[in-house]
Amino acid sequence: MEREALQAAVCELDAAVSPLDANADRAAVVVEASALPAIVRRLRDEPQFAFAQLLDHVAVDWIDRGQFELIYQLYSFKHKHFLSVSVFVPRDDPRVPTLCRVHPVAEWQEREVYDLFGVLYDDHPDLRRLFLEDDWVGFPLRKDYQDDFMLDRPR
Amino acid sequence: MGIVTDKLPGALEKVPGGNVLVTRFDEIINWARASSLWPLTFGTSCCAIEMLMATGGPRHDLARFGAEVARPSPRQADLLILAGTIVKRMAPRLRTLYEQMAEPRYVIATGACTISGGPFIYHSYTTVRGADEIIPVDVYVPGCPPRPEQLFHGLLTLQKMIKEGETIREPGVRRKPVISALPEGITLEDIQGEMKELLVKENVVDVQHAVDKLKWPSGLNEQSSGKSGANESGAGDGT
Ligand code: SF4
Repeated sequence: MEREALQAAVCELDAAVSPLDANADRAAVVVEASALPAIVRRLRDEPQFAFAQLLDHVAVDWIDRGQFELIYQLYSFKHKHFLSVSVFVPRDDPRVPTLCRVHPVAEWQEREVYDLFGVLYDDHPDLRRLFLEDDWVGFPLRKDYQDDFMLDRPR
Repeated sequence: MGIVTDKLPGALEKVPGGNVLVTRFDEIINWARASSLWPLTFGTSCCAIEMLMATGGPRHDLARFGAEVARPSPRQADLLILAGTIVKRMAPRLRTLYEQMAEPRYVIATGACTISGGPFIYHSYTTVRGADEIIPVDVYVPGCPPRPEQLFHGLLTLQKMIKEGETIREPGVRRKPVISALPEGITLEDIQGEMKELLVKENVVDVQHAVDKLKWPSGLNEQSSGKSGANESGAGDGT
């Protein structure tokens, strides 16, 4: 499907989905956190979408708005189209349902985001740190992260 | 066969029926060590492409300097070419690798990252600021990444250090670490030209030159020069 058509079709799925006006080369939608697993499951199973693969899962720290943006990149082998699904969660209580029941690969991708951003995935089977030591304090990719080791650029 | 940049240090003495090579163990051992460095493949990021892969490949060809047998196991290596960013999580492993390497071991730190943390020195929660916080370094090769020629320069510097370095009387003596920066404007062609010159020079065997070059310990020199008076000055030491 073409970008605009795909975006419109995905938005018709549910009231929890709205278009995201990003300057991207692929269709982008925003989904409410609570509806995420159900929507992604439908995107995977319905034949006109057939998003069989979760390519990537990343987070963006929008510190000015007090939000994390969680981005899921989906790809369909059948139709060869991409979709980027965004979820906005508040910075002070970042919680989102896990996707590992829908796409098992999400388990480690979510562990990575937890490791570096501290986003909590409800119902995740094994939410431990992935890269950093288990006793690490804080989440270093948050924009306000500071520790004793970090050096600031001299002005 | 690569280019032999150095002849076996020693002096040829003509005796009836052939030649006798006179040398010292220190010189022979250091010569052997310097000419057969076995690097450990330790590439953690972008520098590894330049340092281990481009340098080891056929265009630049590390084999010419007797250091091409890159080993994947520290037990078989005695040269650690650090190529790439070192993070906190890697630091204990690097220390372990270094300690597992065969003695005597040498370390070349290539690239801004292993020298100081490089581009990641500010606002980094995990980049170690210089490999010398973890292990001792012999030669620093600056650049981001350094060109293969610069690694050659660093390697030749290290070989020079080894040859002037340890002796049996003082094992484990390390010279101060050096920075081996290639002078600006030096190209691969310059280095190749220099190597060719050496090759031509090496083909002419000049024994007297080798004898003159050799530095004897002071005691030995006097003994061999004052042969007529050997009986008076302690002949009991053995000659
Ligand atoms: S010094 Fe530069 S090229 Fe080398 S590892 Fe660091 S960033 Fe990469």
